[in-house]
Amino acid sequence: MGRMTSAERMHAVMMGQKPDRVPVNPFAMGYCMQIVGLPLGDFYSDGKKSFYGQFMSMRLHGYDVSPMYGYASCGPWEMGGEIAFPYGPGHSAPSVTRHAVNTIEDAENLEVPEFRDGKLPGAYGIADDLFQMCAKYKMPVTFQSGSTFTASSVVADTTLFLKWVLKEPKTLHMLLDKVSDMYCNAIEYFADKYGPQAVMPFDGGPSEANTILSPKGFEEFAFPYMQKLHKKIADEGIGVVLMHPCADQNMNIPFYIKVREQMNWRGKYIWLFGPETPVQDQIDAFGAHDVICGNVDPPSFQTKPYEECVELCQKNIEEGKDSPSGFILAPGCEFPPGASPDKLMAMMDAAEQFGRYE
Amino acid sequence: MTSKEELLEKLSNAVIEGDEDKCAELAESALEAGIDPYEAIMKGCNKGMEIVSHKYECKEMFVPEILLSADAMYAALDVLRPHLKVDEAGKKTGTVVIGVAEGDIHDIGKNLVLMMLDVAGYNIVDVGRDVSADTFVEKAAEVDADLVAMSALMTTSMVRMELVINGLKKRNLKAKVIVGGAPISQSYADKIGADGYGKDAVEAVRVANKLMEA
Repeated sequence: MGRMTSAERMHAVMMGQKPDRVPVNPFAMGYCMQIVGLPLGDFYSDGKKSFYGQFMSMRLHGYDVSPMYGYASCGPWEMGGEIAFPYGPGHSAPSVTRHAVNTIEDAENLEVPEFRDGKLPGAYGIADDLFQMCAKYKMPVTFQSGSTFTASSVVADTTLFLKWVLKEPKTLHMLLDKVSDMYCNAIEYFADKYGPQAVMPFDGGPSEANTILSPKGFEEFAFPYMQKLHKKIADEGIGVVLMHPCADQNMNIPFYIKVREQMNWRGKYIWLFGPETPVQDQIDAFGAHDVICGNVDPPSFQTKPYEECVELCQKNIEEGKDSPSGFILAPGCEFPPGASPDKLMAMMDAAEQFGRYE
Repeated sequence: MTSKEELLEKLSNAVIEGDEDKCAELAESALEAGIDPYEAIMKGCNKGMEIVSHKYECKEMFVPEILLSADAMYAALDVLRPHLKVDEAGKKTGTVVIGVAEGDIHDIGKNLVLMMLDVAGYNIVDVGRDVSADTFVEKAAEVDADLVAMSALMTTSMVRMELVINGLKKRNLKAKVIVGGAPISQSYADKIGADGYGKDAVEAVRVANKLMEA
């Protein structure tokens, strides 16, 4: 088999065919800015610079995924709160400086933002500058479309939100419903603007992890809104969704399986679980029809030497390489923004050495 | 079981159930029954939170349940603490300066550790979130801390912990350091010279107690 380009490699995986080697998605976001000598905050505050950093990093390292925009605290700004961009020491992503919901009354009065040309809410306006560049280069437009539970947990004061799981379930459902309506508007807008086959919604978040929420809580408060959004995605004719159940979500896996089953969806999920979920468990749950990503422990890329990083990637490749519907080497969450470039090289080198199919 | 034991068990159960009103009520009843408030705290509130901790470890309880248990426990403590004898009120396991590393605003984990250290009898000095190394060190010196407890959720903020450890050493302060948070591991704790690592709030208290005994 000849050497494929990144686009050919990803296309082969998405079509259920064997590429020349395992593709690499380093889930590198803030990291890319060090490649182009720009501050980390620019990744989130300036869509054009964000695209430039990711595009250059992708070209420099030769990995196989194109630029995207998103962050764990997406939602609060769009729903009327305030955020700060990560320009300070130790910062990694935008953080909430004022929650939109601090009382039950706030939740009742919360308004769902509309998505209109020239007037996109919050960070979606910044993101769309990046999306236009992606569209220009025929790359997928990867926009944030969830998770509703995680976004809601930062739209509201997080401690209050978690107490509402038990004390104010009706208010919580009202809030979740409004936040999911915002994501429905985003799905409809971007599918319409760029075409359903050109977009790839990105759904995921850490607040529903089982270190925080019980599977029963997931079933009651996260699952229904995931179903609502994924039905919207299917109705719009979108064919691929990037899923990132962040951190330990092992007890939620049965619900993720149900999302497809209940919709009878024929599209493809790309699953990027945290390092807490064994690759084999992912293959067992989703491998028959979906693409599985690796989940190398992200902090290791920051704290361990190159050789150990290669070994971790090798192990990950060996676990997932023969997943029936394809495998992509990836860390289990964002590549550390402060990791040195040789650690990303470790991913690429491991894919070249241990991820070839011929 | 005597009525005293029954009452303390009810208090413990009310903490587990996260019933704030019942906890305050039972704390009042304990005082009215002449139960020593220190004993009510240790055998009622503390015992309840120990069971909550165990249930969290076994994945039988999760963060929403713990937050309600904490509220319930504090409702009882608000009633009982003003009645502690002077020597018991001052009887503390140690003083802990606790906060989230610089650049990081994720404080739920820190608050869980704080609450569990509080009920375990530590004097708590909460420096909040997104805390600079200088602030940690200054506060540790000011309160003559026995422990400094730090958490971080991001790979960008975890590296700030080492600055605190170096700062404490530079000032020759006695405080031992315990670290935790999603990206932290025992090997990382060892690498930056922390004295202890807690993978969750329950273990953090265990490690803190061990460090205090050493």
